[in-house]
Amino acid sequence: MLKMKQLGKVFHTGEVSTHALREVDLHVKEGDFVSVTGPSGSGKTTFLNIAGLLEVASCGEFLLDGDNVNLLSDSQRSKMRNQKIGFIFQGFNLIPELNLFDNVDVPLRYRGFDAKERKRRIEQQLELVGLASRMKHLPSQLSGGQQQRVAIARALATSPRFLLADEPTGNLDSQMAQSVMALLEEINRQGTTIIMVTHDHGLAQRAKRQIFIKDGRVSELTAVDGLHSASLHSVAPLPLHGQTADAPRVAGV
Amino acid sequence: MLAYYLRLAWISIRQSPGLSFLMVLAIGLGIGAAMTTVTVNYLMSANPIPHKSEQLFYVQLDSWDPHQPANENGDPPDQLTYRDATALLAAKKAYRQVIQAQIGAVVEPDNKDSLPFQVSGRANSADFFAMFDVPFLYGGGWSENADAEMQQVIVLSQGLNERLFGGKDSVGQKVKLAGDYYQVVGVMANWQPRPRFYDVTTGAFNEVEEFFLPFSHISTQKISRNGNTNCWKPSGEGYQAFLESECIWTQMWVELRNDSEKQQYLDFLNAYVSEQKKLGRFERPINNRLSDVMQWMQNQQVVAEDANLMMVLSLMFLLVCLLNTIGLLLAKFLSKAPQIGLRQALGASRQHLFAQYLTEAGCIGIAGGLLGLLLAWLGLQGISLLYGDEMKGLAQLDVAMVALAMLLALVSSLLAGLYPTWRACTVQPSQQLKSQ
Amino acid sequence: MLELGPIFRALLRQKVGAVLIALQIALTLSIMVNAIFMMQQRSEQMARPSGLDEANLFYLSNTVFGENYNHKAALDDDLRLIRGIPGVLDATQINAIPLSGGGWSMSLQNKAGEGENGIGVAVYMVDEHGINTLGVELIKGENFQSTDIEWRAASAVDWPARTMISQAMAESLFPGKWESALGQTVYINNNEPMQITGIIKTLQAPWNGWDGVERSMLVPYQLEGRNNRYLIRTEPGRRDELMPIIEKALAESDKNRIIRSVTSLEETRNESYRGHNALNKILMLVIVVLTLITAFGIVGLAMFSINRRRRQIGTRRALGATQLQVMRYFMLENLIISSLGVAIGVGAAIGLNIWLVSKFELKPLEPQLLLAGVVALYLVGQLAVLYPARKAAAIAPATATRSV
Repeated sequence: MLKMKQLGKVFHTGEVSTHALREVDLHVKEGDFVSVTGPSGSGKTTFLNIAGLLEVASCGEFLLDGDNVNLLSDSQRSKMRNQKIGFIFQGFNLIPELNLFDNVDVPLRYRGFDAKERKRRIEQQLELVGLASRMKHLPSQLSGGQQQRVAIARALATSPRFLLADEPTGNLDSQMAQSVMALLEEINRQGTTIIMVTHDHGLAQRAKRQIFIKDGRVSELTAVDGLHSASLHSVAPLPLHGQTADAPRVAGV
Repeated sequence: MLAYYLRLAWISIRQSPGLSFLMVLAIGLGIGAAMTTVTVNYLMSANPIPHKSEQLFYVQLDSWDPHQPANENGDPPDQLTYRDATALLAAKKAYRQVIQAQIGAVVEPDNKDSLPFQVSGRANSADFFAMFDVPFLYGGGWSENADAEMQQVIVLSQGLNERLFGGKDSVGQKVKLAGDYYQVVGVMANWQPRPRFYDVTTGAFNEVEEFFLPFSHISTQKISRNGNTNCWKPSGEGYQAFLESECIWTQMWVELRNDSEKQQYLDFLNAYVSEQKKLGRFERPINNRLSDVMQWMQNQQVVAEDANLMMVLSLMFLLVCLLNTIGLLLAKFLSKAPQIGLRQALGASRQHLFAQYLTEAGCIGIAGGLLGLLLAWLGLQGISLLYGDEMKGLAQLDVAMVALAMLLALVSSLLAGLYPTWRACTVQPSQQLKSQ
Repeated sequence: MLELGPIFRALLRQKVGAVLIALQIALTLSIMVNAIFMMQQRSEQMARPSGLDEANLFYLSNTVFGENYNHKAALDDDLRLIRGIPGVLDATQINAIPLSGGGWSMSLQNKAGEGENGIGVAVYMVDEHGINTLGVELIKGENFQSTDIEWRAASAVDWPARTMISQAMAESLFPGKWESALGQTVYINNNEPMQITGIIKTLQAPWNGWDGVERSMLVPYQLEGRNNRYLIRTEPGRRDELMPIIEKALAESDKNRIIRSVTSLEETRNESYRGHNALNKILMLVIVVLTLITAFGIVGLAMFSINRRRRQIGTRRALGATQLQVMRYFMLENLIISSLGVAIGVGAAIGLNIWLVSKFELKPLEPQLLLAGVVALYLVGQLAVLYPARKAAAIAPATATRSV
């Protein structure tokens, strides 16, 4: 469902050009759970932003369900985000002045559901994350874990087929992190494709596929027989956890 | 979606009450000040007789001193001499014509218990009522004959009829005025053109006079004249000499239904002046004018200079208030950048965001407009208090002004909101979503 | 002052906000200065003395309607009656009231003949009690004698042989040597001679908007007519008490006339300058509200910019900046913005003034006023930013380490 071919992203600031992503080739299939790891500044966030249609690649091709995203207008991309993609952020990014109900309501409004349908979905999602009873509370009245669960409920409210999570557990203690991770796994089991950026290797290893980004290049680690050993799809030897220098190019995933 | 945007606007406004209040106050004050002065100007510059203002013409002849013009800008004098006015009236070259002057008299009620009292009046020829569409409660004006024969007839204002006859139909009754009895032929319904265009030389916003009688009575000297008299040349001894003098104190209006009638009338005036030149009068170059109602109002600067000045200042004031609002909105919207980025991630298009923030600006504008209306109302009360009678009837809001105030508030707040909204919508979503 | 550079560069990064404030300051300055200037001009006009004993003067209208009325006898009776009432200092019949807006003007010329340059002058027709009733000061020459007073019929056209004129009129007739006007002959109605027998220090014409408002003349006339006015001067403090008494006494003495419009000169002055007074009050309000709006705008924007920079300020504090230094940062920032504002504002004020002068009857602006306006707006800016700056200074250094 998600296909990147020779994708690149260059930022220009003054006279300096930064290559945030280079020649990325990636194919994510329906039902995948992909974790993305990499050192800070490696291009993880840029990758996620492009995958989430928040930014446009500088070169290459990006197909989402067969549509070439690079050719879409801003409002078409907005629509696509709204319909196909759910976002979860490290900072939860709930709107502080809106209560839980209204926060989950935001993407549904842009989707254009009628009031009844919105209410049904909001209640259903908040039920799912176990916060239905606190619908009228403001985000500031919740703990971090609860806030992230609201964010997940919001991301799922539009029934996206594709969930992007940027360090979803980054601001949570390990117990909370485990419960959020379990929730994500449950969501994936029900058919939602997930791409999750994380720096927690324990969590990364729980994904079905692992991607590693360094200096803008993407490579993939494969899980074999439940053991997380490094294996390579293409030629070069695969560095573990990115300690080594050049991450190899991954072709034809 | 509008309902949603309105709700979001409400939440946002409530979230920073102080700032929102400041913006509403700024717009309110700006609109209030602007509407106060605009209303006064609007009422001062109103067309008092819209359906025929382009067919009524004020007549000016340049009968003034050969050594110096009547006005520095070369305009002819603003009134006519008695002899010219009566001659032009008698010529009857226009569809309708009226000559007139302001007068005053003492009324002695028949009832011996009531004291005599002074009333303001107007001496005018017969066409006055038809030309100016004067509404009548009872009866009507008088005929041309009444003018010519100096009949003792009178038209009363509704107020004077109230005072003398308790508001009853008094047509046919007699009124003792300036020592003589006059027969009532008509009672006017309430009539107060603003500006009182038919005679601005005695105050464009004064009350309409309380009685009207045939102009010919003025030649008897029994009725005292009240208006302005200007002479460039001494008149001879006695009242008859005064009537024949070069002193100006009579006003004339003509009704001309189209351009060709107007041209013909102007030709007639020029011919008349040429004729008079042969008698040794009108030594200045021919400089005759026909001004329609609005031209005449403009020529006479019916809108007071102070009113214009205040309007200029108040519009600048509004501008300051709008700059203020722009600054505050900008600060507020920019502080919402994270939320804007988030909404974009959740599927809001730029149009969605634009609509949302413009709605918020519009809400502030409407609230400001309502406050502005209240302030404008207070401002107008203040103005009528400060200026007294001078502003009578000129300091009131009408439907058009209320609508204008709201429109002005909405448009200016949307304009003020445009730049901040645009800035808000160009927020790069990806920049705003990182954890802080 | 070391900080000016960084502040300036920081401002450049959020220039729109700064420019908006600067524009507000500029507009406020230009409106304020011009408005104050208009107020000053009007106040000066209002402060001009009329020359009269205004506090103790009032007048009334006497309108006769009876047939075959003996005007002359009635006038003598009335004046005798009024002057006889205890508390009345003096009274005269007069054709026009100073400051009232209605009156009679003629023109006087040095040489006889048509086409000679005439000087407009307000005419007051009074008897020998005129000077004392008006309360004006005769600085040269002599008052009229009772024998000088002539009876003027309603449509008379000629003029008496003598007149008293105001000093300003004398100066206009004889520029640079007004004193020499006494005894001179001037001409009215082109050819009629009148001799100047007295010069009055100050006596204003009835029209306060006229540029010749200080030019007036007294003429020894008593008037016949159905409408005339009596001017009455009372002992100090007795005016209000005497007004109804005299009205009643006159009304009862003769039923063939009505006494109306009994008005004190104080009311007349108020009425006369009502527009001026009103406009001044409005302008004052405009200035105050405008300044407040601008000040609140500065406060609002500063608060926002401080809230946005909380962490930065906290970091600065953590790095050792004192509270005073934080405050100074924002005060200096405001100073820079204000400087931009007043720089634009001075230009705008002069531009606005030039436009107002061309459009309305106004005089060009005085530079001192402009300077005062500049100082005032700097002060307003600094005062307005004081509160937000103190808020900023109060931000705890620990803010730097706390996530928001």
